[in-house]
Amino acid sequence: MDRRQKRIPIERVSEFVQDGDCVWLGGWTVVRKPFAMAYELIRAGKKNLHLVNNPGGPETDLLIGCGCASKSETNYIGHELFGHPYNFRRRFEQPESNKGFRHDDWTVATGSLRIMAGAMGIPFIPTRFLRGSDILNPEMDGFRDLRGVDPKVPKRKFMMLKDPFWEGEEVVLIPSIRPDVCLIHAQEAGEDGTVRITGGVFLDYYAAVAAKVTIVSAEKIVPKRALETTREENAIPGEAVDAVVEAPFGAHPTAVHGCYDNDPWWFRDYLKASKSEETMQKWADEWIFEPGSFKGYLEKVGSSRLAKITADPKLLYSATIKRRLDKLEEVN
Amino acid sequence: MASNYSRLEMMVVAASRLLRNGERVLVGTGIPLVAAILAKKTHARDMVMMMEAVAFDSNPEALPFCVADPRAVYRTTWTPTSAEVMGHFLQSGKIDVGFLGGAQVDRYGNLNSTCIGPYHRPEKRFEGSGGASDIASLAKRTIIIMNHEKRRFVDRVDYISSPGWKCRALDWKSDTMRANVGLNGGPYAVVSTLGVMKFDEQSKEMYADTYYDDLGVSIGDIRGMTEFEIDVSRARPMAPPLPEELGVLREKVDPEGIYMRY
Repeated sequence: MDRRQKRIPIERVSEFVQDGDCVWLGGWTVVRKPFAMAYELIRAGKKNLHLVNNPGGPETDLLIGCGCASKSETNYIGHELFGHPYNFRRRFEQPESNKGFRHDDWTVATGSLRIMAGAMGIPFIPTRFLRGSDILNPEMDGFRDLRGVDPKVPKRKFMMLKDPFWEGEEVVLIPSIRPDVCLIHAQEAGEDGTVRITGGVFLDYYAAVAAKVTIVSAEKIVPKRALETTREENAIPGEAVDAVVEAPFGAHPTAVHGCYDNDPWWFRDYLKASKSEETMQKWADEWIFEPGSFKGYLEKVGSSRLAKITADPKLLYSATIKRRLDKLEEVN
Repeated sequence: MASNYSRLEMMVVAASRLLRNGERVLVGTGIPLVAAILAKKTHARDMVMMMEAVAFDSNPEALPFCVADPRAVYRTTWTPTSAEVMGHFLQSGKIDVGFLGGAQVDRYGNLNSTCIGPYHRPEKRFEGSGGASDIASLAKRTIIIMNHEKRRFVDRVDYISSPGWKCRALDWKSDTMRANVGLNGGPYAVVSTLGVMKFDEQSKEMYADTYYDDLGVSIGDIRGMTEFEIDVSRARPMAPPLPEELGVLREKVDPEGIYMRY
């Protein structure tokens, strides 16, 4: 690929993701999630994805609900205060909905260290966290039947080691995360792949370096030249990025600092729909398949709703949206 | 005499009073966020409020919806990642207070925010514990805040997401005191909708320290709403909220009622 011109149309994103891939989804719960690209994976009918993130939000619950994933490995999957991740929950609370789905529980700190280890190319990293909890309990290992069998799953969850260098503390060795693909949504990206992120990079830099293939969608694609001044604001070097996609509102319905806020109407409708397999399928047909493209999806959301969630230029979030779903007013 | 405030408000006020000025506090999403902001806007203005996702010394104008919310980084001077906040500051023992919620707590302050029932076939599967386990493991002290119900204050949590005073040994087959597995700090208080529970110096078991007498709560209520036998012999009435505390909570911290459900 041309090192200076990495721009691709959004329709091509699914070519970079194979069934069964370990896919890192950037952002944090309901903030800066790569939704436009997740919708593409759903439309392309991807299967058996192994989802990793730190932590997961509605995009992860949606990919699970649409049957694209067979595994998740993270510390949290949810919609924060909006409500519960019903698709994810149903896989475990209703055995007939499980369909071989597996989940491995971790923590924010150890997920951060694991993806950092992935970026460093080291196989594991020691930590002082996790001791004393059931997260390492071998009886409660969500991937126990996959270890040593599935090549995307570490052969063991952890190992204890007595520190051989200093005081001899018993520390925990945890495996690195090695994503096949990393999907990130950012405010700005250069044609060469340079990524500018404001309001929190989360683990996106580490994941971009750790993954074999990294694709970044951005509110705006700009010439590389535009990112050469105030370079301190750039979060990820172009060398760590394989392709860039221009996708305004590409994280909708999650928030993007300085651009737009969470879309509470989306969460209200999605939460209602995700409560059963049937209504979830209907929602996916209506919002993902029938619009046919991300452009069609945004048209269905409507310009007045997008205007409502647009961020205040000084505050960098919306000061007017209501976040109480039970007190939402309709917008047309 | 009828009180003009709720148990939820008293819980938030009681929790905010446990935070001290000048401390570095790592705050979880939800009600802990409300209580921490209340403390910052009343008696602990120089408390350094940190959130695991990005916010370091957060001074929000509007209530953040989660720890990654753009509202949380409004006018902050540094926006690190969780690798720095948790992997560096917390792991190296530089956080004074961890402030957490949860679904279940037991007599040793173990917290569960993962599932109810057997892990592989749960009756209820929750979102997951986020960074709570990390915070409860290595902060110098941990404050827990949750509704006081019998199904939440249990003899043994179904899953230890976040270790308390007596947690899993390193063989994961037995239990042991947390110092034996190299953990810092430990649970300092559980602030509930009935009162504030603390942990005995010797036995490390939970006891009732104060109860919301002004709201009609009795020590019998605490015993009745706790699944295990809880010592209430030391319980004293809690001082009701000051007008300033209630005013700041209602008008400045959560005027939308996002967490307080006004």
